[in-house]
Amino acid sequence: MEKANEKAYRLHLMVCAGTACVSNNSFGIKDALEKEINKQGLEDEVLVVTTGCNGFCERGPLLVVQPGNVFYQQLEEKDIPHLVEEHFLKGRPVKKLMYKPPKEKSPIPILSDINFFKKQVLIALRNRGLIDPEKIDEYIARDGYSALAKALTEMEPKQIINEVKDSGLRGRGGGGFPTGLKWEFVSKSSTNGQERYIVCNGDEGDPGAFMDRSILEADPHAVIEGMIIGAKAIGASKGFVYVRNEYPLAVSRLIKALEQARGYGLLGKDILGSGFDFDIKIVRGAGAFVCGEETALMASIEGRLGEPRPRPPYPAEKGLWDNPTCINNVETWANVPVIINRSADWYSNIGTKTSKGTKVFSLVGKINNTGLVEVPMGITLREIIEDIGGGIPDGKKFKAVQTGGPSGGCIPAKNIDLPIDYESLTEVGSMMGSGGMVVMDEDTCMVDVAKYFISFTQNESCGKCTPCREGTKAMYEILDRITKGEGKEEDIDLLEDLAKSIKDSALCGLGNTAPNPVLTTLKYFKDEYEIHIKEKKCPAHVCRELNTYTIDEKTCLDVGHGCDLCRKNCSANAISGETKTAHQVIQEKCIKCGVCYDVCRFDAVKVK
Amino acid sequence: MVNLTIDGKKIKVDEGTTILQAAEKNDIKIPSLCFHPLLEPYAACRVCVVEVIKKGESEIVTSCNTKVTEGIEVKTDSERAMKARELNVEMLLAQAPDAEAVQELAKDLGIKETRFEVKDPDEKCILCGLCVRACEEVVGADAISFNERGAERTVSTPFGQESEACIGCTACSFFCPTGAITVEDLLGREVIHDELHLGPSSAVRVPIRQAVPMVPFIDEEACIHFKTGECKLCEQVCEKEAVDHDMEDEEVKVEVGSVVLASGFKPFDAKRIQAYGYGRFNNVITALEFEKLVNASGPTGGKIRLANGKEPESVGIVHCVGSRDENYNEYCSRVCCMYSLKFAHLLNEKTNAQVYDFYIDMRCFGKGYEEFYHRLLEEGTKFIRGRVSEITDVAVTEKEEGKLVIRVEDTLIGAMRRIPVDMVVLSIGLEPGIDQNEIARVFNISCSQDTFFLERHPKLGPVSTFSDGIFLAGACQSPKDIPDTVAQAGAAASEALSLADKGTFELEPVTAEIDKDLCSGCQICVSLCPFTAITYNEEEGISEINDALCKGCGTCVSACPSGASQQRHYRDNQIFAEIEGIFIE
Repeated sequence: MEKANEKAYRLHLMVCAGTACVSNNSFGIKDALEKEINKQGLEDEVLVVTTGCNGFCERGPLLVVQPGNVFYQQLEEKDIPHLVEEHFLKGRPVKKLMYKPPKEKSPIPILSDINFFKKQVLIALRNRGLIDPEKIDEYIARDGYSALAKALTEMEPKQIINEVKDSGLRGRGGGGFPTGLKWEFVSKSSTNGQERYIVCNGDEGDPGAFMDRSILEADPHAVIEGMIIGAKAIGASKGFVYVRNEYPLAVSRLIKALEQARGYGLLGKDILGSGFDFDIKIVRGAGAFVCGEETALMASIEGRLGEPRPRPPYPAEKGLWDNPTCINNVETWANVPVIINRSADWYSNIGTKTSKGTKVFSLVGKINNTGLVEVPMGITLREIIEDIGGGIPDGKKFKAVQTGGPSGGCIPAKNIDLPIDYESLTEVGSMMGSGGMVVMDEDTCMVDVAKYFISFTQNESCGKCTPCREGTKAMYEILDRITKGEGKEEDIDLLEDLAKSIKDSALCGLGNTAPNPVLTTLKYFKDEYEIHIKEKKCPAHVCRELNTYTIDEKTCLDVGHGCDLCRKNCSANAISGETKTAHQVIQEKCIKCGVCYDVCRFDAVKVK
Repeated sequence: MVNLTIDGKKIKVDEGTTILQAAEKNDIKIPSLCFHPLLEPYAACRVCVVEVIKKGESEIVTSCNTKVTEGIEVKTDSERAMKARELNVEMLLAQAPDAEAVQELAKDLGIKETRFEVKDPDEKCILCGLCVRACEEVVGADAISFNERGAERTVSTPFGQESEACIGCTACSFFCPTGAITVEDLLGREVIHDELHLGPSSAVRVPIRQAVPMVPFIDEEACIHFKTGECKLCEQVCEKEAVDHDMEDEEVKVEVGSVVLASGFKPFDAKRIQAYGYGRFNNVITALEFEKLVNASGPTGGKIRLANGKEPESVGIVHCVGSRDENYNEYCSRVCCMYSLKFAHLLNEKTNAQVYDFYIDMRCFGKGYEEFYHRLLEEGTKFIRGRVSEITDVAVTEKEEGKLVIRVEDTLIGAMRRIPVDMVVLSIGLEPGIDQNEIARVFNISCSQDTFFLERHPKLGPVSTFSDGIFLAGACQSPKDIPDTVAQAGAAASEALSLADKGTFELEPVTAEIDKDLCSGCQICVSLCPFTAITYNEEEGISEINDALCKGCGTCVSACPSGASQQRHYRDNQIFAEIEGIFIE
């Protein structure tokens, strides 16, 4: 036990050390806090702790004061002396550093009163902001590894599997396959005297998604504990964590956590004296999106080219080196200890009929509160976007939300009251995916969104099967010409045909779901496609090639006094006029770069 | 057994059968590109997609890797399946427009042209991975794989460099369905011939086309299995299970009264004459390669073609390559003039090419040969008398651009000439076999200066040797053509037969014998005897002479330190007695 834990402190300052806060100088804040505390002679009363991701990344760097749950945000080093003196010395919380919702006047001092946190139910992220992820003792203090002890000493493998089955936990990586059922398959498939393997899929590749990274960074032991329990259940003696090398913090914390667990006898030979042996190895992925697909991931672990192979045989039957292998996502593993500790009944009470428990989403895009949220299944989109997310910035209109990353689809505003679970999302043409949630406002062009996601899948397609390799390329070409005003009438039909055929005939999940962004935008926003093709216009003015820029001469002269900024910035010399005269756009020369629109401070440049 | 229906046809197949196999067995055709029966299914081209209805739910699957299950209904040409198949083929047509297999498939499916962007109109590779899988599964060399991903994907060796892992087996090219992989040998020559010594060869083959018995053998040097331990495809495809890779060479002892040696010759290696550019120029080929090229069962089906596939407009035939040349072999190889004339005739018959024949002397020595030469003269072949000094691709005049230029001294007009041609055939000579000396040692016979086997007498004993019962036939004795070989072989056979027929054997009267009492068992004689007639008797500790083998040469007699070995009728005391007799008079 480290010395720090023997001493009692009056206050614990939980500084968020998730990737977002770290890049916002949270370590600088920590140093400044410690310096100031020493200066004020508070070092025996106040302890600074670095924690994993708090979730409210939008507002970093973050600081939570315990006890009291006082939430400080967007801290700067210059604020620290004042904060330490006022709050920690004199006991007067500093209001100006607290979070103030966009539409309200007074700040909210207590974390749990903030809407962003209020509606969240934390299971996978149960320890976020509360423990130092690099200290196993803090995890143990929060009931960590008690589920493992229970599973190893009191439960038979079959009991563990049944418990997970009864809990209704489903794969959090995207497919939503019942976890307990998968475990049962693996435990039943014959090994021919070989080993069974456990794999943790931490190859998170969806643009804008960072759930797995956060869990690994904030609570690596939760994943490790889940994996050991799973290993006991299926009879595996070796496990792998496949994690992207672009997550250096996650990797280093995982390495530390594994070392600590080994040191405590929680990994290795004869775990907790139960006679059960299990160890985990970290495999770092080079960042190919397709390696998140389980068969490609296994190929990558084996040292082969990371490309999917046909299923069946499923990994449960023939996985790593042709042996039965159980692959689950980071979030799934993190849920397991809680289920064992608090029973399947408790867990299955949360959520909907088919989808139990909670799901972590990374809430990004045109939304006030960007961050990581864990919500119970069955929560409506409206609750996530309006309550937790705090609505759309600048009073813009909510247009659609994209879930499930590049494999998912766009859900239009009319479905805002949709309760979220695996089935409901699939029904509207999207999917749960690993939990990316990109919110879009009225300024978003849906054709452009489809084009963005298709360009992503096209770049990340492994190229093995024709529909995915050539089909995504063909779809990209079509979308690209539509956004450039060269779309043809028959393009919509061709896109639909292509999308259906790719969905039908691609080899793996990546390919099967790649057309989803196109299919859903075609389903809900077909009119936008038609306007692009027939009228050669982009209603959201995103597709610049379709825009016409003009200058409102009256505004230019009366308000801006012909400031000439647009003309100076125009690289094509397409603006005429001089200071104190009204400016005009010379349409023949205009290359539609939009720079004039961006630089005009008087909204005199209009786009049509 | 599993029951299912394919296109409405009720079918019963074994468990574990794939839909594609089940369909094939019932003459229902499902097109596919990346599937090969000898390799694991890869399911990448997605052309073999079919619709499967199982418990009321319809699904599109690839038939190559999906196993049949009880009660499924398979539709190979439903609208949904066809739409996916057609689009996939149409996309492949955009990706690899030059791939014939795709073009044909598109034609079958009624696709006239692709609606998608064509990146490279000359692309042939459809990225089906057959080559990669063959290299991994069959060869076990893992020399090639995919590079990059998505639309950038290509097949190549690591970093596109020459790969040390490649064993040059050409399996990749064999499995390639679109001809996207061509094989070049180490000298950069395009390989168009597949016979031994003429580039990569099939490891399983019949030694020669006229072989008796017609039993194929496995060439261990070329066989992939003996290089990597993998493959064994021939074992898989042989229904009679006649292939056994573990079979080992056997030594068989046969007791015979006489032996006819017919160990043949080896063709002259044209690479030795560097000035002729064999191995450097694609279109300089040897007589054997030409023979292969012109053969109806050869690589071009008997059509005479250049390396680029075009018909030659002019061909030069160079005589005496490696023969009648003091730098290589001084002797005349006897057969080259006549086979060269045959080539010229075939070229006249099969192509419109102008044929030039470069000779030193025209040796048309046999029945009808001279007449054949005259026929060639009439056919329009141009005969140029003189030894070719060089074959080059360096053009001096415009006419020589892109051609091979033969430099020769025309001794009849007394001038140097440069003759541009498209193809050069080198009439290589005959050389003694590689293990000629080894064979001679085993059979106790001699070789002449040029290492052909030496006959007992050039006129009186042309088929026998100095070892009784050992006879010679064919080119192992000297270069000769087929009629001469057949005649000599007949003679050798009858000599052997006459011995067998007689049943007895006449011994030399003058042989050596060893006096048991004097022999010390030093074995000097054993190692010296050129006819291996002396063996050492370990029991008695003395050397013994086999009278049937001893030719009475006297070597052992003069070498014996103890005087135990004595020549019958010429014993020491007999000779001394003779000398004494002379002096008495």
